[in-house]
Amino acid sequence: MKLLSPRERKFLENRLKSLYGVEKGFSDLVLIKCGRRRIRATTKETLELASKLKGVQQIGLYVMKVSNSDISLSVEGAQLLNGDIKNNIIELDEEQVERWMKAVPIKIETTYRGRYVIGKFNRLYLGSARVSRNGLLYPQIPKWRRIPLS
Amino acid sequence: MTGEIKLSESLREYLSKMPDLDLDLLIEAYQNPLPTSFRVNTLKMDEHEILEMLKGKGVSFKKIPWARYGYVVEDESIDLGKSLEHALGLIYIQAPISMVPVEVLDPKPGEKVLDLCAAPGSKSTQIAQLLNCLGVLVANDISFERVKALASNLQRFGVLNVIITLMDGRKFPRFAHECFDKVLVDAPCSSLGIVSKNWGIARSWNPEIAKRLSRVQRQLIVAGFDCLKPGGELVYATCTLTVEENEMVIQHLLEKRENAVLKEIDLSSLKYRHGIVEWNNMRFDEELKKTIRIMPYDNWAEGFYIARVFKGG
Repeated sequence: MKLLSPRERKFLENRLKSLYGVEKGFSDLVLIKCGRRRIRATTKETLELASKLKGVQQIGLYVMKVSNSDISLSVEGAQLLNGDIKNNIIELDEEQVERWMKAVPIKIETTYRGRYVIGKFNRLYLGSARVSRNGLLYPQIPKWRRIPLS
Repeated sequence: MTGEIKLSESLREYLSKMPDLDLDLLIEAYQNPLPTSFRVNTLKMDEHEILEMLKGKGVSFKKIPWARYGYVVEDESIDLGKSLEHALGLIYIQAPISMVPVEVLDPKPGEKVLDLCAAPGSKSTQIAQLLNCLGVLVANDISFERVKALASNLQRFGVLNVIITLMDGRKFPRFAHECFDKVLVDAPCSSLGIVSKNWGIARSWNPEIAKRLSRVQRQLIVAGFDCLKPGGELVYATCTLTVEENEMVIQHLLEKRENAVLKEIDLSSLKYRHGIVEWNNMRFDEELKKTIRIMPYDNWAEGFYIARVFKGG
């Protein structure tokens, strides 16, 4: 785990703004790099205490994955940004939400900019889905939290 | 589970010696399934909104009086574990009495709290909810496999101010001496309070299990206490009934640490009894009456033992 450098953070903020219209971002939180592409968010106080402890496995919340210039937000990452997300949002109905949380591909008619869109149901953000060229969305829900296929 | 529950001979003999225990009622409670209950996650959404979502799906429930944000399901026909609300972390499925230790600990926003034996994370998420993103939660467990489940549950619950550590809790004071405002020691135990979940516990129980666990529990409670700042509070909890794993552990702490002071637990809405002070020709500190025992048939849910300890200056 490593703290993002000011340059890396600036790059992320710019990408969040151009992809999703995010202005404030994770401004008051500390961002940590885990591995090459995963980013976690936490508070300053949490990070300070973690530096004194041993056996630390994880700190804070997993919020996004960065690959090249694309950003895939986790469910919690999208929920943290909440009302700050303005672009590349897909509004889902109840049936689509169930499919989303089962990680079942969803057929869409609209075209989107970028490789990822953010799902939204009522006021709830549901993280990112990858947009394929054949008009399907592939929700990025990790296996451990998917609703089981019945 | 169907059929009739079987208790090992040694367990039957042990329980029949316990004061203030009705064995017939206990067996009846063991044969009943535990009620399904959940907490709503106010870190993610307003309590009322989440409850409306559930009602819209036909889930009926009622408030658990002893737990903030706790509800018990009245109609079991909907599997909440497969619901959207669960997958999104809007609710956390947790048994009703299991919510009591954190209510007794009563973490306040801004505090540093250690959950020494945290996996799978029910109580950690409850602590995080009460901290409301202010302060820090350290959730520790000794098992790598169980830490994975803990991490998943804390992620789904949306906890930002958490540190997950993998460590033998007994070693924690080496680098976190007097570091925390509150400590929860929800110790590994022989689980005689949750036999309804697994009848095998009662079939295979023997006194050696309790004695072996008691040794670990004594070390854990002393370690947890040493991690507390002076003026801080520790809650010790198990979901079992044996004196070796409960009162004798607290007695051990009182003997080892002079500044450990037991405090009253006031839960007016819950049925419980006081800690035992006489057992097998042993006499414990009278203060142990301040600890509480909850029998599975008291509230027709799990059985628990809970002690609240203050650290003097």
